[in-house]
Amino acid sequence: MGGTLALTRAELMRLTRNKRYFIFTVLLPVILYLLLARQFTGKVYGVSFGAFYMVDMAMLGAFSGALNGNAIRISQEKKEGWIRQLRLTSLPAYAYVVSKILVSMATTLASIVIVILLGRFYGNVHLAGWQWPVVALTVWFSATIFAALAVAIGYKFAPDQVQPITMIVYFSFLILGGIWYPLSGALKTVGQLTPTYQAVKIGTDIIEGASVSMGLAIGLVVWLAIFIGLAVVAVRATAETV
Amino acid sequence: MSHYGTGSSTARRDGGTNGYGTDRDYQNTAVYASTGSTPVVSFVNVSKTYGSLKAVDGLNLDLRPGETTALLGPNGAGKSTSLDMLLALRKPTSGKITMFGSDPYHAVKSGRVGAMLQSGGLMPEVTVRELVTLVTTLHPKPEPIDLTLKRAGIDKFADQRVDRLSGGQTQRVRFALAICGKSELIVLDEPTTAMDVETRRLFWDSMKAEVAEGRTLLFATHYLEEADQAADRILVINRGRLLADGTPAEIKAKAGARRITFHLDRADEQFLLGLPGLVNVEVRRDFVQIQTSDSDATLYGVLDAGLRPRDIEVTGLGLEQAFIAITAEDDRANGTEETN
Repeated sequence: MGGTLALTRAELMRLTRNKRYFIFTVLLPVILYLLLARQFTGKVYGVSFGAFYMVDMAMLGAFSGALNGNAIRISQEKKEGWIRQLRLTSLPAYAYVVSKILVSMATTLASIVIVILLGRFYGNVHLAGWQWPVVALTVWFSATIFAALAVAIGYKFAPDQVQPITMIVYFSFLILGGIWYPLSGALKTVGQLTPTYQAVKIGTDIIEGASVSMGLAIGLVVWLAIFIGLAVVAVRATAETV
Repeated sequence: MSHYGTGSSTARRDGGTNGYGTDRDYQNTAVYASTGSTPVVSFVNVSKTYGSLKAVDGLNLDLRPGETTALLGPNGAGKSTSLDMLLALRKPTSGKITMFGSDPYHAVKSGRVGAMLQSGGLMPEVTVRELVTLVTTLHPKPEPIDLTLKRAGIDKFADQRVDRLSGGQTQRVRFALAICGKSELIVLDEPTTAMDVETRRLFWDSMKAEVAEGRTLLFATHYLEEADQAADRILVINRGRLLADGTPAEIKAKAGARRITFHLDRADEQFLLGLPGLVNVEVRRDFVQIQTSDSDATLYGVLDAGLRPRDIEVTGLGLEQAFIAITAEDDRANGTEETN
């Protein structure tokens, strides 16, 4: 475990030098929140727009950080042979993937906390003490699911294929999941099956004080299982070529 | 002559008899090579097939402690595949590889092997020092980081970013990762690719210092000069099979260490084939070219038969010609002349 943590530390150090990553993970949701949080009144998913948009933007930054950055990096590091080089060390086989997920979790947590603080001090969101961490944890867990998907894509595809594939996946979950614009009507019948919608809806249900639907929670767990399954298949399939 | 055998003579050029080099070096070997003459690595009938292609075909070999061995072969001979299997990156289709009495995976994970792969990459966006520090931290028996940087000759650019180095500098960083722990076996796959002549010389100097400590070294190369100068022992492989195994001098002798050429009217190939020391003969009209392991005896044989050839030339063959002769012979025996 010590080796895995040493690798995670080095990965974090790299990430602090990568500006592009922070633009999508932190800057984009912060700017959108500052621009739009006070522009709308009325309720979305049963809560104020400011509260909905807080959960929404936290999810945007977090899932984008877990998916986009990771998939491309993993694919490049596989192609360049860094994963292979690591296999020659005494690190256990799973260490590389685990460190990628831990790094995602660290950075997405930072972006979630920033957006939630904005909600509190800029978006006029008032919650009971326990609600803050529960909302943050919900978004955090849901975003981490996408790190597993990133592992699957990164191992399966070459770097030049990964770029368009992650973009398609990213925008699908962004639009179908109602991150871009809240779901209603026909779009909702499909969109409510996405993990991005499920995460935001659980968040707003917690804020509203309503009971959280079991279906949403089960949905997230099913997505997690699917993404982990894809990741395991992709990693195993490349065991001799990585 | 279609068979060069796999001689097992292992005389070291430095004259050491204990397998560890000189007695002075022996003082430093306590950390390494404590297994006596038990092989560090052994391949028993190892094969690897990709679909219908046999990349490695029934390979048998042993590496003894303290020995520097070159794995020599043309591109596609199975060098990289063999090293990949040795390092547990690929599984043999059949056969068994043992390293330090255990399987390759456990030997690698216990830090007993340091390796530098052609296909091995470096983590980008970090400095050379940060990368070496990381990999050193992961090693069960780490060397001091500053020592590694110095030995690999990368201390001058230790604070530069890994992704901004030249090809030769990158190779030296890879080398640093192979020697950053007290590994008993060092495996290098074409280590001096992308290095200029001067860097290559510096590289081998630092490599020799590593070996002087009693480490076992296996390196793949297609620079014959390198194999000749650096190795105690050369394994020639082609088409995934071991063609020759011996000291550089023995390898040269096997292919016929000297070449004799002369002109002779009505040269009788059958007679020439019977000459002492002869390895190979080619007759084109009145021009005769002979490869021999004993040029004196061969030439006396010609003269004793009463023949009087003209324009006699005797030339020593380098390892390169020996290597070409051995692999070309193998290709002929397999009925597929090399086309490139």
